[in-house]
Amino acid sequence: MMKHARGVLVVLVILMAGALFAAEGKKYGKPLTLKKSVKISEILATPENFNGKKVLVEGPIVDVCKMRGCWIKIGSEKEFESIQFKVEDGVIIFPAEAKGRHATAEGVVSVKTFTKEDLIEQGTKHAKEEGMEFDSSTVKGPKTIVIINGEGAVIK
Amino acid sequence: MGGDEATQQVRRRFNWRRWNNILHRDAGYLVAALTIAYGISGIAVNHVQDWNPNYRITKEILTIDPISSTARDAMIAEALRKISDADSLMSSFRPDAETLQLFFDKKMYTIDVPTGNVLMEVTRPRRVLYEMNQLHLNAPKRYWTYIADLFSLALIVVAITGLFVLKGKNGITGRGAWLTFIGLAVPVLYWVYHVYGG
Repeated sequence: MMKHARGVLVVLVILMAGALFAAEGKKYGKPLTLKKSVKISEILATPENFNGKKVLVEGPIVDVCKMRGCWIKIGSEKEFESIQFKVEDGVIIFPAEAKGRHATAEGVVSVKTFTKEDLIEQGTKHAKEEGMEFDSSTVKGPKTIVIINGEGAVIK
Repeated sequence: MGGDEATQQVRRRFNWRRWNNILHRDAGYLVAALTIAYGISGIAVNHVQDWNPNYRITKEILTIDPISSTARDAMIAEALRKISDADSLMSSFRPDAETLQLFFDKKMYTIDVPTGNVLMEVTRPRRVLYEMNQLHLNAPKRYWTYIADLFSLALIVVAITGLFVLKGKNGITGRGAWLTFIGLAVPVLYWVYHVYGG
């Protein structure tokens, strides 16, 4: 009887630890240092104000790099907007099943303007990775792309 | 006691080849499982451009009636009713005015709102291969980093002790020297070709 009670207790402790871990979320990369998050829509509206600055953002993960797990896209609170959270290959590996989960992520904002040729090259590469066709005629001209160079994230 | 006899006794006391072979054998046993796992994962990850070594992604095209709601919450509710998926919705996203994405655990629906065309994408980790790749790429970080370091050191021990397992014509002074040289020459020559000729 005592043995059974001990077994049940161990199982309960494991379950509680698992629940606590799930509630806290899974950590990737460096620990988060910032307390206050910035709205993604705010970064995208005035990217030059954030270029080179460290920010904390939150939102649903709407896409994940399927091949290497080297980036996630975080949806903005504003419709039709998302931002790419890019990490160095192998430093952090995001699992594909993170898609749809909530991310709290910290990194440095980078604003870059790409030429039409660069965009076609990137689009072709991305489409190949995703196993899709890429229509280069959809690329109209140079574009400013805002990304966050990721340092750490917590995914729930 | 003569000088020769004393030397022989010392040899009997410490036979370095015997200890070399014991070390080679036992280290070999220890690293066998992980070497095979890393080897398989290495082949899988080498061809990442051609296939996804971690996930099996299945795509299915479905058709539902077009979504008539325009407000976001109503649109989601209508889409959920029409898709009738029993799983719980995790989150949703609208990448553009005509597309609605619904996220479930390991499953995503991308709905073309005006037409009702739906792409259902199910993402499942490849059994065993996913785990092997994650360990090989050190995805867990933390303590696995040190375990992987020890494994690498053990592999170095296996490689070095392996050179001295045999003596004679099949050992490192005979056939072994040629094979070891070939093993060294292949990467060196390929690197020279890659830098200067490729």
